[in-house]
Amino acid sequence: MIQRRWLDIAAVGTLATAFVTALVVPGEQTQGDLARVIFVHVPAAWLAYLAFGVTLLGSIAYLATKKIRWDRLAAASAEVGVYFTGLAIALGMIWGKPTWGVWWTWDARLVLTAVMFFVYLGYLALRRGIQDPDVRARRSAWLGILGVVQIPLVHFSVLWWRTLHQPPTILRPGEMQMDPPFFGALMMALVAYTVVYAALVRRNMEYAEVEAQLHDAMASEEIEVAGAAITAPRYGEVN
Amino acid sequence: MPSFWRQAIELGRKDLRTEVRSGEVLMITVPFGAAALMLIPLAVGTDAPLLERIGPGMYWSVVLLFGVLVTVRQSAVEGQAQEDLLGLLGVDAAARFAGRAGANFLLLLLFEALLAPVALALYDTDPAGFWWLLAVIPLVAAGLSLLGTLAASIARSVASSTLVPLIVVPLAVPMLLAATQITEGLRIQATILGWLLLLVVMDLLLAVAGVLSARPLQEATR
Amino acid sequence: MLQDIVDLKGIAVRIGDTPILRNLTLSVAPGEVVGLIGSNGSGKTTLLRVVATLLPPSEGDGTVLGAPLRGTGEERYAVRPRIGLIGHVPGLYPNLTLEENIAFIARMRGIPVSEVPLVLDRVGLGLARGRKAAHCSHGMQRRAEFARLVLTKPDLLLLDEAHAGLDPQAADLVAALVAGARSRGGAALVVSHEHARIAPLVDRFVELRAGAVADTEWSRT
Repeated sequence: MIQRRWLDIAAVGTLATAFVTALVVPGEQTQGDLARVIFVHVPAAWLAYLAFGVTLLGSIAYLATKKIRWDRLAAASAEVGVYFTGLAIALGMIWGKPTWGVWWTWDARLVLTAVMFFVYLGYLALRRGIQDPDVRARRSAWLGILGVVQIPLVHFSVLWWRTLHQPPTILRPGEMQMDPPFFGALMMALVAYTVVYAALVRRNMEYAEVEAQLHDAMASEEIEVAGAAITAPRYGEVN
Repeated sequence: MPSFWRQAIELGRKDLRTEVRSGEVLMITVPFGAAALMLIPLAVGTDAPLLERIGPGMYWSVVLLFGVLVTVRQSAVEGQAQEDLLGLLGVDAAARFAGRAGANFLLLLLFEALLAPVALALYDTDPAGFWWLLAVIPLVAAGLSLLGTLAASIARSVASSTLVPLIVVPLAVPMLLAATQITEGLRIQATILGWLLLLVVMDLLLAVAGVLSARPLQEATR
Repeated sequence: MLQDIVDLKGIAVRIGDTPILRNLTLSVAPGEVVGLIGSNGSGKTTLLRVVATLLPPSEGDGTVLGAPLRGTGEERYAVRPRIGLIGHVPGLYPNLTLEENIAFIARMRGIPVSEVPLVLDRVGLGLARGRKAAHCSHGMQRRAEFARLVLTKPDLLLLDEAHAGLDPQAADLVAALVAGARSRGGAALVVSHEHARIAPLVDRFVELRAGAVADTEWSRT
């Protein structure tokens, strides 16, 4: 029992430690307590990119091997990733408003994260609309491949666009001057969130496997074919 | 059996002929795009210098957002019966993709060409470097057509009229940036070759992706 | 002994989570015409699409015109042009005229376009060929699909509700098409609720019940 749940236990443990460390560490010089937002924002942003990468890798692996496990990995990672991406964007805005005076700025990395968020949403919307597991796996894998092809282009073009327009150097969360204890707490948070990601993805995959078993059970002889639901009409009762 | 290109051309012709009969792009999508272009100054203010500055950006944004509707137009949606028919004709899936993307390309070209004078008039923008724009317009039409056709086959029979735009728009950001940067670059006489190259590379990658994915996506049907 | 045109063993088909066909075994020999009957929802249309190689089975295996239903698609792609399917819904492009619809098929198959008016004439649509498919009645659209079959001369004929919406003259067309397939050494699978109408055409009836072929096989007699 403990063996199966070791990942979940590790996730809770590291998260609790990171939480405590984040609260206990002395505040940052200029920003004070506001800077503590980065203990959630930076890991969330890191996870957004990690989850995206795993989804893309899973898609390629599925198309290469046709093993449904890879599709489950890709989907599970996308489901977890979309939440962390949204969290990263929201927290970035909360940090940004007092710091920059605006909710949003057209910084290259921010725009790329927003684009990724929409791509995630499209991927999940596609999956939600297809019932058949093999059809769903194949179509979403190709959408994943399309993302692999396009995202570097998006990244490159947005970066180039920003350099051409020479904006003032924007201080981003995570790029501030950090004391060693602060930096240590941030590292702790990064580790914790990665473990949480792994645990959530594994849970998601287990859930998908149970769903597949249910799907297969429907093939068993005990379940009636659809046509059995249609019986002879009772003419005497029609009028 | 006719060759790959013969099949693709025949399929494209069929799409175009169907569209000409229904007139959806010419009579609905183009006016819709023009109405959008008209709506924006009503919202942001009719300040002439402002409009002149945002004109090109608004044109390319409308091309992108409304152009994607061309790829999900009613006449392009095929029912199960037509799908079965094409399946039994033994048509190469890649030829189907090529034919459809080709027809979409021509319709998008028409779309962009008809909206351009509307934008020029409403926003009073001076089309500097006109000849270069003649190269950009087809490149954007090709990219949008390839991306839209590919997205439509991925999202086939899944609320495609709304899902396809959701898939296309974020991934079309490089096209939008390239088109606007080229238009702006021509105005201030900056270098545009890099952005042109980006458009060409994007179009080639999308064409390859479309052809490679055509057969697997077609088999993925229930 | 020639190979069966259709040879299905233990076929099961699920659409999403719903089982439609289960443990279905059927074979159709060359020159044979089989009538497929069963109540609404019994899976007749699904079976036709499996035989047409358009719907892969979830379980079981079989061959159609020698091509295996499972496995890579190459052989299936090769035999598809030899299959003629007429489904519930007419497979015509509504905005194209009847002539344009059939001409499209001709061009896609490399058949000379000059044959199209002849073929439409043969099914009695010669004068109506310039009419848009959307403006034609269901029966007319059916006849246009028959024209397609006359043009392509398939070896395996699959007719779903072939007589629906047809007047008596057009009903003779069905008989002619079936006879044509038979004479070419092909076969036909005809779905109909009107047993009396198809009885003269078929060699035997097969009934679908509970997603599989029922034990009772009725012959014509």
